[in-house]
Amino acid sequence: MEINAAFFVDLFLHSLSLWWVIVPSIFLGLIVGAIPGFSAANTIIVLLPFTLIMEVEVGLVFMVALYCASRMGAGIPAILVNIPGTAGAAATPLDGYPMVKKGQGQRALAISFTASTIGGLLTTAVALASMPILARVGFYMHSVEMVVVMLFGISLIATIAAKDTLKGLIAGFLGLMIGSIGTDHVYATPRGTFGILELYDGIPLIPALVGLFAISEAFLVIEGESILSRHGRERLKTGSWLQTIDGIKITLKKWWHVAWTSLIGLVIGVTPGAGAAIAAFVAYQQSRALSKTPELYGTGHVEGLIAPESANNGVTAGTLIPLLVLGIPGGATAAIMLVVMQYQGVNVGPRLFAEQPLLGYGIFMAMFVTYLLMALTILPMSRYMSRVTLVSTTYMSPLIIGFTLIGSFVPREYMFDMYLAFAFGILGYIARKTGYHVAAILIGVILGPLMEGYMLVALQKSDGDFLTLFSSPLGNVLWLALALSLVLPPFMKHRQRRRKGVFAEGEG
Amino acid sequence: MITPQICSGTRRVSRRSLLKFGAAAAVLGGSASVVSRAFAAGFPERNIDIVVPTREGGGADRNLRAFTAVWKKHLDTNFEPGFYPGASGRVGYEVYMGKFEPDAHSLIFGNMGPEVLNWVVKEPSFNIDDYVYWGRVDTDPGCLFVGAESKLKTIEDVVAEGKKRKLNVGTSRLAHPASIGMLALADKTGIEVNLIPLSGGKKTVAGAVTGEVDLSVLTSGTVAAAGDAVRTLLVFNDENVLGEALDSAPTMNQHFGTDLPPMLSSRAFGIHKAAIDNHPDRFEMLQSTFRKVFEDPDYKASVLKGKGHWEYVNYGGVEECGKFKQAMLSLGAQYKPFLTGG
Repeated sequence: MEINAAFFVDLFLHSLSLWWVIVPSIFLGLIVGAIPGFSAANTIIVLLPFTLIMEVEVGLVFMVALYCASRMGAGIPAILVNIPGTAGAAATPLDGYPMVKKGQGQRALAISFTASTIGGLLTTAVALASMPILARVGFYMHSVEMVVVMLFGISLIATIAAKDTLKGLIAGFLGLMIGSIGTDHVYATPRGTFGILELYDGIPLIPALVGLFAISEAFLVIEGESILSRHGRERLKTGSWLQTIDGIKITLKKWWHVAWTSLIGLVIGVTPGAGAAIAAFVAYQQSRALSKTPELYGTGHVEGLIAPESANNGVTAGTLIPLLVLGIPGGATAAIMLVVMQYQGVNVGPRLFAEQPLLGYGIFMAMFVTYLLMALTILPMSRYMSRVTLVSTTYMSPLIIGFTLIGSFVPREYMFDMYLAFAFGILGYIARKTGYHVAAILIGVILGPLMEGYMLVALQKSDGDFLTLFSSPLGNVLWLALALSLVLPPFMKHRQRRRKGVFAEGEG
Repeated sequence: MITPQICSGTRRVSRRSLLKFGAAAAVLGGSASVVSRAFAAGFPERNIDIVVPTREGGGADRNLRAFTAVWKKHLDTNFEPGFYPGASGRVGYEVYMGKFEPDAHSLIFGNMGPEVLNWVVKEPSFNIDDYVYWGRVDTDPGCLFVGAESKLKTIEDVVAEGKKRKLNVGTSRLAHPASIGMLALADKTGIEVNLIPLSGGKKTVAGAVTGEVDLSVLTSGTVAAAGDAVRTLLVFNDENVLGEALDSAPTMNQHFGTDLPPMLSSRAFGIHKAAIDNHPDRFEMLQSTFRKVFEDPDYKASVLKGKGHWEYVNYGGVEECGKFKQAMLSLGAQYKPFLTGG
């Protein structure tokens, strides 16, 4: 079978004909993505018996559509009520939620959906066009390189600390300490678990996420009548479709920003073992570092919302590449897909594209079509979804707490995880009240254990020689980029201030 | 991540076949349950919980799914796996022993190789004789493999390279029979190796494929499932029963004239000893229906459909499992300094 433009056009039309699977999967995916604790992987497992009796193509399209939609759905509660239901959405509320507080919820959702759609479409197209090349990324991104990639994300702590150095660093350090709880990577010796079995596998992410962000926020907002400012409430009440259109327009104007942050997601997604959380934080950090207005990040800045949402949707195409091209699942959802494909007798790896090109390329085309259909189905809903924020905090706070506690329980079904989420909620509340940034704690909790894992492998490979971290050409390029991204923004800002000062003196 | 689910077969269904199947299942199920109740007072009264001490999507998940898809027919109940990964399998065992009632309605599906070695590294909070492996499903030997693009093409290349420099060897965890096989190879050939735990089979395969490590060691079933992405160079068993699926790699004993015992992982069902003592009739029913699965042609079909290896399917009862557990404890004691870093 010849792989040319006509082949892809046929494939596109064929994927479009599967709308009857894709559209219901989109709605299901949006729902499970929006519920904290649920994820595409969980849902696919629960629905596995149904998937196995479907035709293999239909089953795979169902899983792919569910996966993409759940990624987009996770952004909805992260923006509206500060509940990132998955680690991949952890960076989304940093600027999404402040927008909501200003009464721009509808606009924020429209930006998020548009950025996710464009990011998803672009990375899927890039994946289709350059799959063999992208599959090679994992051959170069080894533990040394991944240590530096992690540092891109972790350096956000320093950025946050810039506002109040001591408090920012204390919060980040606390997060890293909490992240080191669990058994060690080499000898599986428990550390800091206090003998609590539920902590042997490390701090579970969902309770930490919802506790630090959502429950602490619920404690805070109950002190007022609404999560919105008075001006914000008026703005939302009188809002029209224009806010949605404005969100779409503003995102389209920043297409380049969407493009490069989603490509960060694609590259990180292609690396086996790396995931959406890393991609979102790295994209956010890079977006801020290269921005002309870094001081606006964290206050409801459009680019601060675009970056993590584009990146975490870029990851979805990325994680499927090592699975399909090399036979190595790039993440949890891909691992479940592998089970289904093996059960259905599908050979993954290079043979898939030679023996069953319709299926191999069809999976990515189904992803492309899913994003197209998703844009049509979800964008009109942004206006109604944003109305959630008008609910009085008298009802909203208990709802958030109840909802998130259940979400904490779902992934592992431990009562302990509910208590843990509540404990993190109290920690987050105290941190907010005393001026410590919960995002700095969370970055440590999420990225700390990943960083430790990569660092240990790198050091073990070199018999403990720290210089190994500077032994790879690609790693050294990444070190340079990291240094530049940290040093250049303050340097440029300093220069800008000096110029302004000289100009003002000249005028005076 | 813990996700209860109900295992199911994979037959495609139409409305008519579904009705036929349902009617047949009702008749068969009814008759089976009559026999069951006569035999073990209505056991099982509910679904059987299966604790799996690893993540879903791996080899244990695949094996369990293939086995229970057929076993449920003979035991006339469904199985609900819960995945409790962490601390090299320790979490799953602690959860099973600490949180599940010893009433024979819950089982653990473990890997007798690496998970028994764990107890040598650090004793669990329970007495290791308080659970009993009683139903072996397979025996899967460890093997040494490289990525398809590795410049190490043969085991001789590995030995030659290992004499020039220390080789980085990926393994799913230190306390693993395949890791011990690798150490035995290093002892025999005088090569230097650095065993690097990569946390799980998928990452161990990825490590070899992408060149993160020079080579990896793992259970051969998982390696064979990786297909063309990897090349197997040595098998730690008396015979390479998978042949071409493992690139016709030689065994260590054949190639180096050693008498290394097979370095096997072996998946088996375990149960609380208290459940055996208090409910011998239930345990007998579990055992008898378990045995029937191996004689059922549907099981072979189920294994092959899941890309498993029928050659590794190997029935074992209480006695065989007990011997295996003891052998692993002895092996662990021998390599304890290495496993504990002491």
